[in-house]
Amino acid sequence: MTAGTPATGAGEPLRVESLATLPGLGGLYARGAAASGRIAAGRAMPGLPVIGQGRSVEGDGEAAPLTLPDVAYQVTGVPTADLAHHLHDYQRLLHEPVTDVLPAGYLHVLAFPLATAVMVRGDFPLPLLGMVHLANDVELRGHVVLGDVLEVRAWAENLRPHKRGVQVDLVAEVRRQSEPDARPVWRGVSTYLAKGFHLPWTSADAESSADAPDDAEDRAPAGTWTAPLPTGRWALGPGTGRAYGAVSGDRNPIHLSALSAKAFGFPRAIAHGMYTAARALADVGHARGDAYRWTVEFASPVLLPGTVDVAVTPDPDGPGFAYVGWNGGRGRQHFRGTVTPL
Amino acid sequence: MATRKPSDGSSRSASGTPARAANPHAPAGVRDAVIVGGNRIPFSRAGRKYADASNQEMFTAALEGLVARFGLQGERIGEVVGGAVLKHSRDFNLIRESVLGSSLSPQTPAFDLQQACATGLEAAITVANKIRLGQIESGIAGGTDTVSDAPVAVSEGLRRALLDASHAKTLQARLKAFAKVRPSDLKPLTPATDEPRTGLSMGEHQAITTARWGISRAAQDEVALASHQHLAAAWDAGFFDDLVTPFRGLTRDDNLRADTSTEKLAKLKPVFGRGLAEPAEPTMTAGNSTPLTDGASTVLLASAAWAAERDLPVLARLVDAETAAVDFVHGHDGLLMAPVHAVPRLLARNGLALDDFDFFEIHEAFASTVLTTLAAWEDADYCKAELGLDAPLGSVDRERLNVNGSSLAAGHPFAATGGRILATAAKLVAAKAAETGKPARALISICAAGGLGATAVVESV
Repeated sequence: MTAGTPATGAGEPLRVESLATLPGLGGLYARGAAASGRIAAGRAMPGLPVIGQGRSVEGDGEAAPLTLPDVAYQVTGVPTADLAHHLHDYQRLLHEPVTDVLPAGYLHVLAFPLATAVMVRGDFPLPLLGMVHLANDVELRGHVVLGDVLEVRAWAENLRPHKRGVQVDLVAEVRRQSEPDARPVWRGVSTYLAKGFHLPWTSADAESSADAPDDAEDRAPAGTWTAPLPTGRWALGPGTGRAYGAVSGDRNPIHLSALSAKAFGFPRAIAHGMYTAARALADVGHARGDAYRWTVEFASPVLLPGTVDVAVTPDPDGPGFAYVGWNGGRGRQHFRGTVTPL
Repeated sequence: MATRKPSDGSSRSASGTPARAANPHAPAGVRDAVIVGGNRIPFSRAGRKYADASNQEMFTAALEGLVARFGLQGERIGEVVGGAVLKHSRDFNLIRESVLGSSLSPQTPAFDLQQACATGLEAAITVANKIRLGQIESGIAGGTDTVSDAPVAVSEGLRRALLDASHAKTLQARLKAFAKVRPSDLKPLTPATDEPRTGLSMGEHQAITTARWGISRAAQDEVALASHQHLAAAWDAGFFDDLVTPFRGLTRDDNLRADTSTEKLAKLKPVFGRGLAEPAEPTMTAGNSTPLTDGASTVLLASAAWAAERDLPVLARLVDAETAAVDFVHGHDGLLMAPVHAVPRLLARNGLALDDFDFFEIHEAFASTVLTTLAAWEDADYCKAELGLDAPLGSVDRERLNVNGSSLAAGHPFAATGGRILATAAKLVAAKAAETGKPARALISICAAGGLGATAVVESV
């Protein structure tokens, strides 16, 4: 991940486009679905311009290279004073302590719709629906409390190959309006995979892809990963996806019901990755401090209803925590990550 | 019963004299709190004899038996303290209501207290401390629990709707509140023994601790077998004749299986720790884990002078106590390991070592709880890193451990266990001192949910 000002792949600063208000995720999914359909149609229909660095699915179409929009969205003057009830709902659902301090996962909920707005732009080259959330890397550098007025920025960067397609980082930053030039108080990088798309590989890509989270864990032969002794067990009911969807606004159909998830190839509804990561973050508790880095890598989806065994354990050599979640019955890893005080 | 004399008449100070504490380690200005005796009802497995008995009915029965045993009718006791772990909100004054339903003076104050499975012992510690400070002359400590008659709560969704509706000022607002209720909200919530912060049941937590310490199935079954054999022998020997009052036709703890055997225990399937990855092996069965149980217990404590004035027997002194808690949320320590931390502090404060005890009463939440406790005290690394000791605390002589059985055989109605153990320990040290002519001591250790533990030293008088 790259820190600092948003820039294009070529290093040019992105054009900053201001929106009046933060978009809501609900409407964006409708637009995303339409765009996804258009992109899928573009890939599948011979004769139409094909997306994907010159190699069309059908073989020899004229194709534009995959490029990310050269724009960063920005919304200023985002008020938080009237979010008390919403914050409380989030804190209860995620087992966070009920305070007026916005946890890192809540800031993700606030900021991510702006990143989604980038993903549903007409010139965003990958389909929103069907993208796989691979990882998240979040830094919270201080207290954001109810009443703070915020500035949110989001853009896409770092389009790169993945063994099974193309991965891209969606970056979102939150600053306090009172300190517009300071480094962001919250910064989140969400890494997504679009399967079936291609970029030319370089040896450097191959190397970075080796570290990149993919589904190596769940494809690894049985016995290569041994579950530790759990420190907790989450019993996730069938409504878990609907509950987090209501609080986060992320009503992606794969999370809402078995029926809507089946349409996207899942046997049942799956938990939001960020729900599981935020539960793990809450499990760390006060030891995380006021400023922390919080990472997660997703290995396999958590089917709902379901039980997840978790081990949230302090790093023996440092102040941080590591966590891992797995299916206790099958020993299959769902996610893992770290929480490190900054 | 009330005429039974102290085993050692010479230890009794002249009536009314404020006796100095016999314990040289006691802080200046405190006096002894003595244990006069105890009374409980037989413990019964959930859903059996006490299936429809309430906490208040059971505690009142145990209390009334204590009153009868020691002739306390009309007596104004200094304080009655007790509680229940699974308590209905209507029982906000459970102990006071029980007092009002007993033949104690209605001027007897009371209060409820709760510390999970350590409730009963914590109640006794509280009463003893009031006596030691001279705030009260007499007190009764105890506890009661029913799993069969457990409170049932409504779901969070229905609860919120009911509250919103009750706050609503118009019919429309009330209807709006109820409109939010979903069918799934109508399912009642029964109390769970899951730890709120981890979602793991107590059995699953202990399975993890068991795996960490590598406690074998055979060792656990051995503890369970000994518990049943010891409890059966104690009943047969009449040990509980002056500690138990029959209730609802039950005269003995009905979880007791005098005829159990190593073979029978070995046949049971593991119930906890089945989801743990290799090399952890599930070893905890219904045989070496405590069953859910209903019951109630009480203990009468007093100043030595108060007991002497009423010509009441004195079994022992409650010398000192220590509670502890462990950081179990991130697996640093096992959920039920808190007494392991409390005991070394308790012993150090009182200048005692494990060898100074004639009896060890270690609550058998699970057989493996006892075994992990013993293993930890013998482990040099654990004692150094976790307990701050230069050397292992030491070994517990198994011949002195739970000699009259414990919770695996008797059952474990959460808040009632402390009173059962305290009365048993007091009677054991009194008998031992009478037999040998030397002071006898017992160490009590009770683990509790939430990573809590309470421990106490009981000494003959």
